[in-house]
Order: sequence, then structure tokens, then C-alpha cells
Amino acid sequence: MKKKKILKIAAIIIIAGLIIGGGTALYMFNMPQRNVQTAKTDYSLTASQIVEEYLADKDAANNKYLSGDGNSKILVITGAVNKISEDFNGQKVVLLKETGDKAGISASFTAETSRNADALQIGSTVSIKGVIRSGASYDSDLELYENVILEKCDVVKK
Amino acid sequence: MKKLTFLTAIILAIATITVNSQTSGKLVSSKTQIKFFSSTPAEDIQAANTTSVSTINKETGEVVFSVPMQGFEFEKALMQKHFNSEDFLNTQSFPKAKLKGKITNLDKIDFSKDATYTASFEGEMTIKEGTKPVKENGTITIKGNVVELQSKFNIVLADYGITFVKGKPSTNIAKTVEINVLAEYKPE
Repeated sequence: MKKKKILKIAAIIIIAGLIIGGGTALYMFNMPQRNVQTAKTDYSLTASQIVEEYLADKDAANNKYLSGDGNSKILVITGAVNKISEDFNGQKVVLLKETGDKAGISASFTAETSRNADALQIGSTVSIKGVIRSGASYDSDLELYENVILEKCDVVKK
Repeated sequence: MKKLTFLTAIILAIATITVNSQTSGKLVSSKTQIKFFSSTPAEDIQAANTTSVSTINKETGEVVFSVPMQGFEFEKALMQKHFNSEDFLNTQSFPKAKLKGKITNLDKIDFSKDATYTASFEGEMTIKEGTKPVKENGTITIKGNVVELQSKFNIVLADYGITFVKGKPSTNIAKTVEINVLAEYKPE
């Protein structure tokens, strides 16, 4: 009688374990991408500040802003709108760059937020929130300064 | 007399600028798309990246692509995590991949004439810690002052030190992946 009870409990524990384990695995596998816009902002900076920080010490800045799992820091960058273009997915790309700076911040908007980029005026100062993908640096092969890349961007409403 | 000197100086300055902009011959593209595709019986994995910067030099045939690795977007968050992780592409330590080389049949491509040309490219690609020679073909389409480059080729991941010995990625990611490159160049 006692043996039967132990077996029963063991069976229940194993089944519960399988359900929880399987559920977690399934959740992990199908886990949606992080929502950058609703997530907490890690750093708020001006366009010139982050460009200067990268040009001064690229490796230190990469360690600070990039994360090993690809979920890098979420930034709000304030700067002057220099250019608005469109990528191959039809999403808006806003370049924030101060006059006299060697590089700027290229901010890619999403399918949902692109219309907010449309309303921006060249020369006006705006704050844009997004996730950093790479930093600014001088590339001797391109013979160009590369911009800081932000993605999943939207305009921060004042 | 002073006026004349001033005028000459301006004319000379304009002439220099015009000559320089004509001879530099460098086209820049920040409108790019790089996709990769991996197919195994377990699953198909693809990712796209629109954050690269590229240049083509019309005079020398030099082509350069700089690819921010964290810019690859996957359908599933877990795939993206695996891709960026230390065991795989280690994008925190190696944030950029680079392709550089030359168009070897530059004499066959007339950048001033609208047409589609087949371009042969020879160079090298650096991903993570590996640098390997690359020899591929692509097409260059000229339409007015817009130049479009397209290419499709395969890479062997192990060539670049990207290997998986255990875990899910070792069965779910193909050893050879297909890369698609698209870039649109406009004069600045």
C-alpha cells in the first residue's frame, strides 16, 4: 500500500516536471524579441557625446555599450537631424549629426515607427530611443568615419 | 588688380574642387542589405542586416563592406542570442565583419553607361577571428547616377572559426550558409 503511494507521488512529480520543463523550453524557443521602446533606457546622451566617446576609445565604448548576447544597451540620443533616408525594407533611417562632428548616429526606425520619422525636420533637434548595434570609428579601408548604429528606433515624445 | 587676383583664386578653387570630385571616384552606400540563409532538416534559419556601409572605387575597382554583426535580425530572440554569444560569433569582442577586395574585370564595366554588368571580385573576408580569400561574381547595375551591386555566395562557417561541437546549434545550423548581398550607391 505504502509502495503504491510512493509510486503515485513519484509519477506526479515526473509528469509535473515534464510539463514545466517542456513549457519552459517551448517558451524559450518561441520567446519574442525584446521590445526596445518599452524597455528601460540605459543611457541618455547627446550625439556629440557618444561619437566622442567612441572615437576616443572604441574598445572601452564597445565594452560599455555592447552586450554579449546581442541585447545591447538601449540609448536615447539627442542631436540635430542631418538626413532622412529609407532602407531596403522601406523603413526610415534618420541620421543625427552635429555640424563639425566627424561621425553621427544612424537610427533605423521600424515598420511601426517609420511614420514618426517622416514628421522630422532637417536641422531640428530631436531625441531618439533605440538599441545600439555598433559604434563610431574611422575605417581605413572605407576611408570614412562610420556612424554609431541604432535600430528599433522611435522619436521620444517630450 | 586686387579684384582680378581674387577672381582668379576663386576660379582656381572651383576648378580644383571639380577635378578632385571627378578623380576620387568613390561611391558610398549606407543603403545595404545582407542576408544569410541556413537550411538543415531540423530548421531553416535566416537573418537580415541593413546596417552595413560599403564603398566602391570606380577608378581602382576597390570594394569594401563593413558589417556590424549585431545588426543581424532573426525571427526568434533565442536564435539571435545564440548568434551573438561568445560560443558563436562573439559579437561583443568582434563587432564588425569586413569584406574587401577588387573588381578584377573593371575594364568591362562602364560606370557612365546604363546597363547590367557581371563583376568578378577577388579579395578577403574577415569574420570573427578568421580571414579567408573570397572569389565571387556579382552583378552591377548602372541606372543614371545610381549603382546597384548584387551578389550571392556560400561560406563555410568553420573557415572563420565558427564551430559548434555540442548543443542545439550543432544540429540546427548548416555548415555552409548562403549569403546575399545588395547595396545601392549614390554619389554624395
